[in-house]
Amino acid sequence: MNASLRLSLSSLRAHRRRFAGTFLAVFLGVAFLAGTLVMGDTLRAGFDSMFGNATAGTDAVVRGADTITTPGESQGVRQPVPTDLAGTVEAVPGVAAVAPDIQGAGQLVGGDGRPIGGQGPPTLAGNWIPDPKLNPYRLAEGRAPARSGEVVVNRGTADKGGLKIGDTTTLRTPDPVRVTIVGLATFGGEDGMAQVTFTGMTRADAEQYLTAGPGRATSIVVRADPGVSQAELVDRLTPVLPEGVEAITGQESAQENTDMIASRFLTIFTTFLLVFSGVALLVATFSIHNTFAIVVAQRARENALLRALGASRRQVTEATLVEAAAVAVTASAAGLAGGIGIAAGLQALFPAIGFPFPEGDLVIGALSLTVPLVVGVLVCLGSALLPAVRAGRTAPLAALRETAVDSSGASRPRAVTGAGLLALAVAATLTGVLVTPSVWLAGGGAVLALIAFVVLGPVAAGTAVRVLGSPLDRLRGVTGGLARRNALRSPKRTAATAGALMIGVAVVSLFTVFGASLKATMDQTVSRSFAGDVAVSTPAFGAGGSGLSPRLAPALGRLPEVDTAVGLGRGVAEVDGKGRALTVTDPVALRRTFDLGTVRGDLGALGTDGIAITRQEADRRHLTTGDTTRLAFTDGDEKTFTVRAVYGRSELAGDYVITRAAWAPHRTQDADTLVAVSFADGVSAAEGKAAVEKVAAIYGNPEVQTRDEYAQSSAGGIDMMLTLVYALLALAVLIALLGIANTLTLAIHERTRELGLLRAVGQTRSQLRAMVRWESVLVAAFGTVGGLALGAFLGWVLVRASDGSSDSAFAFALPPARLAVVALVGIAAGVLAGLRPARRAAHLDVLRAIATQ
Amino acid sequence: MSTATATTATRNAARVVDAVKVHGVGDTAVRALDGVSVAFPAGRFTAIMGPSGSGKSTLMHCAAGLDTLTSGTAYIGDTELRTLDERRLTLLRRDRVGFVFQAYNLVPTLTVEENIRLPLDLAGERGESEWIDALVDVVGLRDRLHHRPSELSGGQQQRVAVARAFAGRPDVVFADEPTGNLDSRAGGEVLGLLARTVRRTGRTVVMVTHDPVAAAHADEVVFLADGRLVDRMESPTADRVLDRMKAFEVPS
Repeated sequence: MNASLRLSLSSLRAHRRRFAGTFLAVFLGVAFLAGTLVMGDTLRAGFDSMFGNATAGTDAVVRGADTITTPGESQGVRQPVPTDLAGTVEAVPGVAAVAPDIQGAGQLVGGDGRPIGGQGPPTLAGNWIPDPKLNPYRLAEGRAPARSGEVVVNRGTADKGGLKIGDTTTLRTPDPVRVTIVGLATFGGEDGMAQVTFTGMTRADAEQYLTAGPGRATSIVVRADPGVSQAELVDRLTPVLPEGVEAITGQESAQENTDMIASRFLTIFTTFLLVFSGVALLVATFSIHNTFAIVVAQRARENALLRALGASRRQVTEATLVEAAAVAVTASAAGLAGGIGIAAGLQALFPAIGFPFPEGDLVIGALSLTVPLVVGVLVCLGSALLPAVRAGRTAPLAALRETAVDSSGASRPRAVTGAGLLALAVAATLTGVLVTPSVWLAGGGAVLALIAFVVLGPVAAGTAVRVLGSPLDRLRGVTGGLARRNALRSPKRTAATAGALMIGVAVVSLFTVFGASLKATMDQTVSRSFAGDVAVSTPAFGAGGSGLSPRLAPALGRLPEVDTAVGLGRGVAEVDGKGRALTVTDPVALRRTFDLGTVRGDLGALGTDGIAITRQEADRRHLTTGDTTRLAFTDGDEKTFTVRAVYGRSELAGDYVITRAAWAPHRTQDADTLVAVSFADGVSAAEGKAAVEKVAAIYGNPEVQTRDEYAQSSAGGIDMMLTLVYALLALAVLIALLGIANTLTLAIHERTRELGLLRAVGQTRSQLRAMVRWESVLVAAFGTVGGLALGAFLGWVLVRASDGSSDSAFAFALPPARLAVVALVGIAAGVLAGLRPARRAAHLDVLRAIATQ
Repeated sequence: MSTATATTATRNAARVVDAVKVHGVGDTAVRALDGVSVAFPAGRFTAIMGPSGSGKSTLMHCAAGLDTLTSGTAYIGDTELRTLDERRLTLLRRDRVGFVFQAYNLVPTLTVEENIRLPLDLAGERGESEWIDALVDVVGLRDRLHHRPSELSGGQQQRVAVARAFAGRPDVVFADEPTGNLDSRAGGEVLGLLARTVRRTGRTVVMVTHDPVAAAHADEVVFLADGRLVDRMESPTADRVLDRMKAFEVPS
């Protein structure tokens, strides 16, 4: 065995405890990473096989060839196909069975009167296809719907809503439909397609409620005769299809569905988790680097002796690196195993909390095996590289030097470099945000700011600890003073320890600030644009929910308490070749309940061939009143519209407005997203709201909210996201804590004799514990303050950058209460991290501590 | 407490009775102290001498409350140490005992002045400024009060340690080889300082040493060999101590 290797292994054996912190940091980071990847693999494979199973009997799908995709949407809207095409298809030789597939949005109301789902995954309704091989859902209990009003729902949805066979409830399509559940279904062997809810109705009901009129289907599913392959079937079908309609194989369709889920849900989900495991690993880098730096410093005598005895620089460096590699490999391997364990645990846990995790074995791709291992080893070795090189540079004479106070951290070149970097960072960000809006410049500046903070850390540590610790002298006397000075001993070490926490806190405050700003923006939007008294909406998030019945607004308008009730529907069309969302409404009423800013032209004159657009959009496309623009609808129709009005504010009304009359020929499933109501003169808020609620109850019982409530509920999703983000960041903060605890433990080891002396001259155990604890708190406070400052700055940059890149104005808000909580948590973390090292220090044997060499 | 100090000042500042200390158990057990009874009179400078392994450091540690006896009793003034729990023992060390060690005697992060005041600060007391002032003059470090230990020579550091040991007006100061790391000149200064402080201010010092020259500064020397008290010598000189040491090296 070679000398470096033997040295490192014996040193590892002797100092196992010192590397416990490093091991844990790498382990946690790698486990998170591996868990995310394996879970992603498993989910993807699960969805693959689920769709494969569910649609195995479908050999071809006939559907509209073109889609219209609006910005910000991953799945486009497809033109429907005529149902009578089914007859043509059925006549093609080799076709065994054909069924039109009609799909739309339909949200069931549960046994408790509250809607089921709608927070993310789609809430679907469709026709129940009688041919069991063509229907992706299998009847598990009960029977298929036979009469109008009878439905089959997937079992997961029924369980969630507390519904069973024989129950009668409401289906919002969005027109409320009374339905009776006659059967429960499964999808690909599971209780549902993940959290997607499905309600299957008779074909007549589906045509009535889910499409604009009979005779149109989302697609036509086809089964082939035995012996006819899917590709052959498609080849035979293609010639008989009219223009604008295509046929694809069942496999392709299943693949598209999986890809759609993968891109819409899995990719976002795993990317999200990967970002946070990245943050955790970045934090880990700091504490690993710090551990090795301290260990190398403590071992200076030993290394100097080796050098004096003739070891080369390389041998000493190698010995340290081998040590790091040994820790890296064991910790990464353990982390990988831990990650697979986490994925397995989640697989078992998810079904228990009502999230059908696809059954089957864990799927571990080659990448998921190698990436965490490689990343773990690289992070650990990379962090140990500098300390190892420093170890090699130990002068043989250093064997005799006593290291007492090391103030090398706060060197002048460092201060100058750091200040320069910070100035550059601020300049770049300000330019990118305020002068010439550029996301790249702003982002680059943000990264530079982070680097500048890390470089400046040791310089700032002195002043910061002095300032933060100044109350300690008065409050805690000599104990506090000693703690403060201990924290100041090695500014570099203090800064590196605090740096880990700083990054964690910075990311937490970044999200906190951004979340608060988003909320403030919504608040501002609603209070500026919404001039009505109450808003009626169905709280939904993502693709869920089915919207409001278009009959609600007219019904509300007839109330004596109501002056105006205007419904906003959503349409989709290609405007000059680009997919756009249209607001379908009554433009005159719109103006009474929304502040549209200055309006040029006449909103009342849109008719069936007129359109109103925002000034921003008009300027961009060089349009003005009287100009024309071409709209292509999903049914294939193209029509020229004349711009009759240009309005100033688009926040709630959208960029394009057309009348209901203009939309009617092209409509699909009709739904309003929002009904805005303003009361008649002299009607009190409570009176008016009560009247509106009474009518709304008949139309599927949507939420009736005052302006403030509406603004708050619009921001509800943000709080949910923030909670998730906090949970994920807890790991990074935990790793930072481990780093602080580890540094303290190593420092205590270093100061054994000094602690012995303090105890001998009369420091009580509790005073000693307090001293260590306060040191920990000071380091944590330093990291927390730095993190808050950095996070608030980055949050501001993000908000300004978003402001620059989006049409609507973005507000910046600092939430003082939340940030105070973040600060308190950071400091509490310091107390927690100090507990164990403090206890250990207090239990040092005085005599032995004095005798330690 | 001041009345207790007054009554004990005329008698013994510290003593041990039938002190036995066994390190380890079974086959590896070593009797470091084997029935030692010795008293350290108040207002005197006593040196404990003996060859390596004679138990002199153990005796000092046990008498000072840093270590506990296997059997026998140890007193500081009239307080029996065995009756005190860990916390009271710490407070006793803080309030009634001073220490000077061989090396690493000062806290590197504190200034000279803060090091001197350390026991008082730990007790949260202001101390008597005249006394501290006088101490600073006796040890001759007035111009170094705001320096850090790393900026002082070894001798200066040890003088700071002496000042710290006396800062709280302890009943007794224990010094463990205080000159072990110093050259003879610096060592002489520290020893002179200890002796002067005892004579001028009536304090009590117990010093462990193996150096006859150091022992000669004391009022009395007690000799230890193999864990037993073997001799006492009043008004020692370096030559007489050296002769006595040689005498019991021969039979062993």
